Amino acid sequence: MGLRQYIDTHIAPHFHKGGKLERYYVFYEMFDTMLYSPDATTRTTSHLRDGLDLKRVMMTVWFAALPALLFGMYNVGYQANIQIAEFGYDPIPGWRTDFVAMFGGFDPARLGSNLLHGAVYYVPIFAVTYLGGFIWEGLFAWKRGHEVNEGFFVTGILFTLILPPTIPLWQVFLGISFGVVIGKEIFGGTGKNFLNPALVGRAFLFFAYPAQMSGDSVWTAVDGFSGATPLAMAASGDLDYTAGLSGVAGTSAGVDLTWMQTAFGGIQGSIGETSVAVIAIGAVVLLLTRIASWRIMLSMLLGMIGTAALFNWIGSDTNPMFDMPWYWHLTLGGFAFGLVFMATDPVSASMTNTGKWIFGILIGVMVVLIRVVNPAFPEGVMLAILFGNLCAPLIDWFVVRANVRRRLSRRGA
Amino acid sequence: MTTAKAKSVLFEPIFNNNPIALQILGICSALAITTTLENTITMCLAVIFVLTCANFSIALIRNLVPSNIRIIVQMTIITSLVILVDQVLQAYHYALSRELSVFVGLIITNCIILGRAEAFAMSNPPVMSAIDGFGNALGYTVVLLFVGFCRELFGSGTLFGIPVMLPTTEGGWYYTNGLMLLPPSAFFLIGVFIWALRAWKPDQVEQDQFEIAPHTPARTSQAF
Amino acid sequence: MAADKESVANVVRVSVMVCLVCAIIVATASVSLRPLQQENRMEYRQVNILRAAGLYQPGMDVRTAFERIERRFVELESGEYVDRPEDYDQRRAARDPQESRALSEDPAGIRRQAKVAEVFLLHDDDGRLERVILPMHGYGLWSTMYGFLALESDANTIAGIGFYEHGETPGLGGEIDNPRWQRNWEGKRLFDDSSDLAIRVIKGAVPDDASEKEHMIDGISGATLTINGVNAMVRFWAGEAGFRPYLDRMRERNRADAGGNPVAHTDAGWR
Repeated sequence: MGLRQYIDTHIAPHFHKGGKLERYYVFYEMFDTMLYSPDATTRTTSHLRDGLDLKRVMMTVWFAALPALLFGMYNVGYQANIQIAEFGYDPIPGWRTDFVAMFGGFDPARLGSNLLHGAVYYVPIFAVTYLGGFIWEGLFAWKRGHEVNEGFFVTGILFTLILPPTIPLWQVFLGISFGVVIGKEIFGGTGKNFLNPALVGRAFLFFAYPAQMSGDSVWTAVDGFSGATPLAMAASGDLDYTAGLSGVAGTSAGVDLTWMQTAFGGIQGSIGETSVAVIAIGAVVLLLTRIASWRIMLSMLLGMIGTAALFNWIGSDTNPMFDMPWYWHLTLGGFAFGLVFMATDPVSASMTNTGKWIFGILIGVMVVLIRVVNPAFPEGVMLAILFGNLCAPLIDWFVVRANVRRRLSRRGA
Repeated sequence: MTTAKAKSVLFEPIFNNNPIALQILGICSALAITTTLENTITMCLAVIFVLTCANFSIALIRNLVPSNIRIIVQMTIITSLVILVDQVLQAYHYALSRELSVFVGLIITNCIILGRAEAFAMSNPPVMSAIDGFGNALGYTVVLLFVGFCRELFGSGTLFGIPVMLPTTEGGWYYTNGLMLLPPSAFFLIGVFIWALRAWKPDQVEQDQFEIAPHTPARTSQAF
Repeated sequence: MAADKESVANVVRVSVMVCLVCAIIVATASVSLRPLQQENRMEYRQVNILRAAGLYQPGMDVRTAFERIERRFVELESGEYVDRPEDYDQRRAARDPQESRALSEDPAGIRRQAKVAEVFLLHDDDGRLERVILPMHGYGLWSTMYGFLALESDANTIAGIGFYEHGETPGLGGEIDNPRWQRNWEGKRLFDDSSDLAIRVIKGAVPDDASEKEHMIDGISGATLTINGVNAMVRFWAGEAGFRPYLDRMRERNRADAGGNPVAHTDAGWR
């Protein structure tokens, strides 16, 4: 307890009422409650005590995303190293490469050098995201006179995991700024945002800087690289679904692609989205702690399977996306990540249980619709979830009204 | 009929009672044509002309117009003025008129114009109505110039077509923001404008639709 | 006055008066400005043609520059010149069942194609053919793109490309308007040595060591579908259903002319 005592006697008084730094109390509080539980308790009625306060919820989600983070970091390095080792690409010149060359080398067979190569790309993105988030969150909290909320903790990590590894850092800063300010703070901050701020930030980048956010050259961090992502391959008809689960379904930039790879990782893509298996670990944690709604996860999955099956059945000669089976939809792109971490965001999803079913199905259907029918966007998860977020209050409103009407009629009124 | 009143009629709509920022009218054209400043200014001039003339002519005949056909009469006058603008643009600034395409014609549907005709010109003398029209058009212009300025500067790195920040596609350093070239960006910009305006003039903030009731102190004696 | 303001007679009177005044204003404007407008419309097309031919500089006198350009009409199937009235409009003709044909194979996504197309010929001061400018259109990502393709007098080498109407995404597909990308086309060849259609727009940049480099055009990153549209459009209009017969004839004529006497095109066309 040495640290606690030190803070209480030497630091805290400056920030409390009457102290020299009273105006900056929010910033002190932010770091204090990050380290320790707050000592404030509710002083009024209706007070349920539970170990699961907002901060604990956020921490759990954060840890649930950790496997995806670690694997993502490894995979970013692995994808780059494989291109360097086997296809003669050069690493992108700069301090990152110098650093990796000094300490780890570019050997795709070694765990350590893959992790290091991934870390030099991921860690700066992570740092910039949290820096940007804390600047804006702090500014708003300070101006509005309330404490900095833990919500950003989760927004930040989720935002970093849905970016391509080669994204310029200033774009990371712009994206998270837009997500936090326009997606959350102007509506009143954590708990009042009707959109998922991480997705708002990504959507902003997607439309503002499409060249750095999509295409064939942004997903693997080597110089001058160009190779279609599995989704792009599917859109141009380069995937062979008859290959089975472990057969080679296609080849991009010299690397063979099987369904198993898309499920367990080892493909290029956004940092945290490539391995369905590690995302599933996070899903188990979130479901066991009952932080994420199983209704949303299940219904989104069902919506996707149903729509994919429908398109499979209709078939098309000109659009190869029609033939994509549901288990490919599940493992490609951001579907699994969106399913587990984005759609289940309790603030921007529907609140009622019936509403959650409708909400999930809607997103599942929209994902496949956008992927298959829309010619411009090969990936539809981000837009589908944002669309679901927009509809969530409306869905709840209808559910509540139907409930009220049913109860009225039961009473014969 | 003092100059003081004329002044307030002219200047009120610019910041205190802005047709876009406070009344949220005429948004459609603000989204469509603000990708470049040149288009924006042309549009603003067209609206200034139409709104001033429409208010003036409607006020001129306001005592003659039977109330059951007044909207049709207003629409006829507005439409004629818009066609006039469109024809002149096509004759003298063809390139601009192509860029603005249908949106010149769509000035007809700009709610500000019919709104001012109905709300002001029908019950005020012509000159005052013209001033009101001009003032409201200026309020519209202020917002559109802000939106057009941001969209052209950040979307293309130019102002009035002159490169300010050289984009990477031309060999420069500036990454153009593609979102700024898409219509939704105008929504964000208008939102930011309204935000700034209301931070400056807090009396424009609407009342909350509901208030969250404060926590009541515990009443354990009644519960048991 | 106020009493009978709402009367039927007054309703009629006011409506007639308002309509009359408005009609006079609108009609006057429309009639008096029409010549100017028509001239503008023509000049706009001319500018685009000049731009595709690589002759346009901002601020130039379009009318004089265009005097070197001759408009002719080509029956696509035979590749022969035919006569059409000056106000022939290829777009309108494409909708007329008499003047057009429905496409069974339609890679460019245009459904119907006019039987007669216009072409623009640029002559040098001695009356020798310098450039051929062909109008093209085809479906991009969002809507139909309209443009011109300019060829050198050999009816094979591309001199320039330009679009004057399209709805592609700004910053992505919209980059087809970027002069840097358009410069890519200059000097590329439509047909290979065995006269097969070889031009194509590829994904990504053309590798330096590609064997068919002179037929390959760089793609635009992030705009695959627009690029596919441009590719289909150019290949369609340069192909059998497009200007291929016409271009073949022109090349035959070139080969015949190579013997000596250049044929001067003196017939006055539309200017």
